[in-house]
Amino acid sequence: MYSAGHLLVLLGVWLVLCSAPAAAQTPNPLLDDRVHDLAKQMNCPTCAGRNLADCPTDTCKQWKDEIRAQLEAGKSDQEVLAYFQARFGPTVMQEPPKEGALLVVWAVPIAATAFLIGVGVWAVQRASARKPAGASSASSPDPSGDPYLAALEEQVRQ
Amino acid sequence: MVFRKGVLIGVAVLAVLAVAALFAAGMVLSAQSGKRPTVGSPAPDFVMPLYEGYRAGFPETIRLADLRGKVVVLNFWASWCVECVKETDALEAVWREYKDRGLIVLGVDHLDTEAAARKYLADFGVTFPNGIDLQQQVSRAYRITGVPETFFIDKQGVVRKVVIQALSRAELIAEIEPLLAE
Repeated sequence: MYSAGHLLVLLGVWLVLCSAPAAAQTPNPLLDDRVHDLAKQMNCPTCAGRNLADCPTDTCKQWKDEIRAQLEAGKSDQEVLAYFQARFGPTVMQEPPKEGALLVVWAVPIAATAFLIGVGVWAVQRASARKPAGASSASSPDPSGDPYLAALEEQVRQ
Repeated sequence: MVFRKGVLIGVAVLAVLAVAALFAAGMVLSAQSGKRPTVGSPAPDFVMPLYEGYRAGFPETIRLADLRGKVVVLNFWASWCVECVKETDALEAVWREYKDRGLIVLGVDHLDTEAAARKYLADFGVTFPNGIDLQQQVSRAYRITGVPETFFIDKQGVVRKVVIQALSRAELIAEIEPLLAE
């Protein structure tokens, strides 16, 4: 016969055995999200142009494990990104850094867009400046477009 | 009409500037990377930090130029590299066999996390010096195509052979012996 003490010990052992693997695999959605968000900002080191978060290769799994380990160790998102850039170079980032030689990648499109807007504004101003000049001979053009009415209005005005 | 013409000119200028920017960026990055060393050309010099515990008597950092007078087997590897697994034992074997005759086997850990790299080195019982390819400076200088990739560098610091595949012990010895004999 088992005593109540034996049953309690067995229950305790059973609980420990069941809870140990569960604890090891406890999902942590917040941490998962942070790992995913950081990985989204980085490139896969071996697949050209592929996002780290979406890449299933062993290399990328290692990198994501490293991100997770560093976050679990208490590092901030910026510290993790800084670590990867310091170790592997600026090309690990999806967006090129806004410094050094890579600044040209950011500066030229902005300058070109500003130039394009400038050309557009200039073209609009020039076009609108020409219209009144052409319309000055008829200060109140006939909306119907009838040449007879236009001529009549001109005569009345004179 | 004038507006449309202006827009067309703007778009054309934008396209030209965009192409010029990409070209300039490509040139800058290419210049930073340098040319791939070919057989007979000087091996690009570099300074590389070594993993603690994998320095083989060298200080914290190693400079290739300081190894003149030695034959250097410069091996690019990574813990995630399937092919590298095939040659690590052979590299370790030739290192142990030839290190007293003037051979340096120097591992360059490429795009690897430190934890995974250390586990790999420990699993294979590696003792030859191994360093971190910080910011991919060494792999860029050598313009490697992937891992594994091995450069055989003679006593004068000249690249004598480049192998882009896993090497066996016999293949390593076949390259090393003549260079040591020079």
